[in-house]
Amino acid sequence: MARSDEGSGKIGKNQGGDAVLNGERRNGQGRNGKFQSSLETGRGVPVSGAGSSGERQLSIYLDHSATTPICAEAIAAINDVFQSQWGNPSSTHRWGERSALALEMARIQVGALIGADPTEIFFTSGGTEADNWALLGVARQHQQPQHLVISSVEHSAIAKTADFLETQGWTVTRLPVDHVGRVSPQDLSAALRPNTALVSIIHGQSEVGTVQPIEALGKIAHAAGVLFHVDAVQTAGRMPIDLRTLPVDLLSLSSHKIYGPQGAGALYVRSGVAISSLLLGGGQESRLRAGTQAVATIAGFGAAAERIAQEMTIETKRLTGLRDRLFVGLATSGALQPTGDPVHRLPHHASFCLALDGWKTLNTPPSGWDLVRQLNSASIAVSSGSACNSGTLSPSPVLLSMGYRETEAIGALRFSLGRSTQMVDIDWTVKVVNQVLKRLGCETAPALVHPARLVNL
Amino acid sequence: MGTSPSKPLIADPPLVLPRNHRDPIYLDAHATTPVDPRVLEAMIPFFTETFGNSGSSTHSYGWAAQGAVDQAREALAQVIGASAEEIIFTSGATESNNLAIKGVAEAYLEKGRHIITMATEHAAVLNPCKYLESLGWRVTYLPVDSQGLVDIEQLEKAITSDTVLVSVMAANNEIGVLQPLEKIGQVCRDRQVLFHTDAAQAVGKVPLNVDAQNIDLMSITAHKIYGPKGIGALYVRRRPRVNLAPQFHGGGQERGWRSGTLCVPLIVGLAEAVTLGVRLQAEDNQRIAALRDRLWNYLKSENSGLTIHLNGHPTQRLAGNLNVSLAGIKAADLLRQIRSQVALSSGSACSSTAQKLSHVLAALGEPNRQPFANLRFGVGRFNTVDDIDTTARLFLSAVTSQVSSSH
Repeated sequence: MARSDEGSGKIGKNQGGDAVLNGERRNGQGRNGKFQSSLETGRGVPVSGAGSSGERQLSIYLDHSATTPICAEAIAAINDVFQSQWGNPSSTHRWGERSALALEMARIQVGALIGADPTEIFFTSGGTEADNWALLGVARQHQQPQHLVISSVEHSAIAKTADFLETQGWTVTRLPVDHVGRVSPQDLSAALRPNTALVSIIHGQSEVGTVQPIEALGKIAHAAGVLFHVDAVQTAGRMPIDLRTLPVDLLSLSSHKIYGPQGAGALYVRSGVAISSLLLGGGQESRLRAGTQAVATIAGFGAAAERIAQEMTIETKRLTGLRDRLFVGLATSGALQPTGDPVHRLPHHASFCLALDGWKTLNTPPSGWDLVRQLNSASIAVSSGSACNSGTLSPSPVLLSMGYRETEAIGALRFSLGRSTQMVDIDWTVKVVNQVLKRLGCETAPALVHPARLVNL
Repeated sequence: MGTSPSKPLIADPPLVLPRNHRDPIYLDAHATTPVDPRVLEAMIPFFTETFGNSGSSTHSYGWAAQGAVDQAREALAQVIGASAEEIIFTSGATESNNLAIKGVAEAYLEKGRHIITMATEHAAVLNPCKYLESLGWRVTYLPVDSQGLVDIEQLEKAITSDTVLVSVMAANNEIGVLQPLEKIGQVCRDRQVLFHTDAAQAVGKVPLNVDAQNIDLMSITAHKIYGPKGIGALYVRRRPRVNLAPQFHGGGQERGWRSGTLCVPLIVGLAEAVTLGVRLQAEDNQRIAALRDRLWNYLKSENSGLTIHLNGHPTQRLAGNLNVSLAGIKAADLLRQIRSQVALSSGSACSSTAQKLSHVLAALGEPNRQPFANLRFGVGRFNTVDDIDTTARLFLSAVTSQVSSSH
């Protein structure tokens, strides 16, 4: 595979880790008591470890499923809001109108990413609020507890909200998954009941990268007249989602997974679908979600959505190539086994757990925690399980539900690639991981190889 | 409100915001405020460089984000007399109010199902209360006097054995009235009822101390104190421990009370905005009140030709608040006439499209019946004497033309 730079877009490489602000601004007050401060665009995101020479600098960030650096377009949009669109979008005066314009622009941009009408986009504080709102908002449309169907590999924002609904008298069916983490449409058909109010299925699983057959699942839900919610936090911008054709009623999005800022997300609510409000108060978001909108982060979300939509085709292809290169490079160790679906898979996502055959000589194989700590020391940022609970050492419930043993599951490792990731980053990562595996006592890990050799794998 | 001579000596604000000459003067500081450049400066590195997820415990990117959140939490807690573990970050005051009211109601089901609040509260308090009423809770809406103050004796009488929460706002968003938090807190403490205050308009602008004022829960937002929109906090007392039922379920952030990835740059901005507000409080309030009084003196002067009434308590109010009712004037026409030069509001922003008399003014009773027009001026940190003089001139000439055209 040829070295590709397409994905790095306009983000500056920032070799020396320059501060974004020049000296005068850094000092705070400018001249004449006037203060000009702004977020300059296009510079200052020290994410890539690789300079064009392939020399190692800074570190390699391979945790884009946890969060992504903010793209230049989003920073520019955020800056515009702080400079001149800071009014309250509900105010009817000029400052308010200007801010409302920024908000509506973002609504169009986010809608365009998923083929939705802007009037179907409702901004939230993030993916978690959108997921909570989808489930609880549908639930509160019913006087009496009903039946909810989710999968056994949902993000905690869905899984925990479903647990909560259970305490309120709801019945919850958690669909099983196969060894690669996929839900079967037949299982969904069998699970539906006359009182099923909602089916909620994650689109792209954040820990193992498996992409669910949401079109088939949605058709089954709709055939039974049941609402269908999809958590698309990991897939939006990474694979095409067109709600003009997909049988989906509600869909959750998050800004900070698509190179937008944290603190913004959205719930798509198909026109005509009734949902109760979660946050009560003022009449914002067409009276469905109270609270002054986070205009700056929402504008950044919109700009990020527009950019990622533009480059999706090229970037997805590029990342898929790099991802597969990582899979191949690490498969040689014999210490790790890939997890998740190799075909229906997030393009930027490579995940593993321990292959016990590689650790026969050890009484206790290392945990994912041991692995990531070593990798962090080598300036490679990866995750072991999903960020929200990666502090805990218990085996991932997702891997257990896929049929892995505890000792295998406890050694989970996730690499999620992004715009800044280059081939040289992958090759270096393969080299370092194999070295770490060897150090931790894996017999089968290959001896150190020169990265140049990997090119011919 | 002062009756000082019409030309007090007022200093320029310490910073002047860049403003295009075509931009209208901003006198709507209760709706929102521009981000102070110092706050922006604090946030910038977290938009451009330190982008990690504070929940990522496996690498330095996450730790750097976590460190920034910890520091912000500590700073915010300190200026309200709290400790860091008593702060929950939220998306803003609306979410904080929802979490406080619904969260306490659901967590104290065993104790009782009665909540006391006030008729002049913000919709983000009133609507969660109405929601609870629809589920069988009982809610008492305390009236206020003609100046907007709550009656402590009435509050005491309203508390019953099944009262779990009293929610009274610190500063009103329309008339700026400051409630006697300390007294209310004392009553609640004596009667062993939790006290929540919506301090969205007050934080940074008036002295707040959760211990001195016996506050158990307090809602905070950044965008009314020159911070960014989309970030707020809820203070929740630990000693004695206040319980809450979380409203967002998921990754268990904020010690399980509020799931969702934290927005690091906005959290840094919130802490910077509030601490800056507290630091500048005395100086800001003095200058802003002088500007506000200057405007009031213009409007009420005899040659203005206006029949004008001040809404809310004359002195116990936010320094930048001026809320007036004008006889024989159509507020919408007046605002339209001056909108290219001055931005102000005829009520709260959250309901600014509604034409009816606001629930706050209705609660004050008498002189606010039609055909009075209601206008809310919100003077802020970056307003100058020139802003006030220009506004007064434009405003009075618009009034004159409206009055003469109606004859």
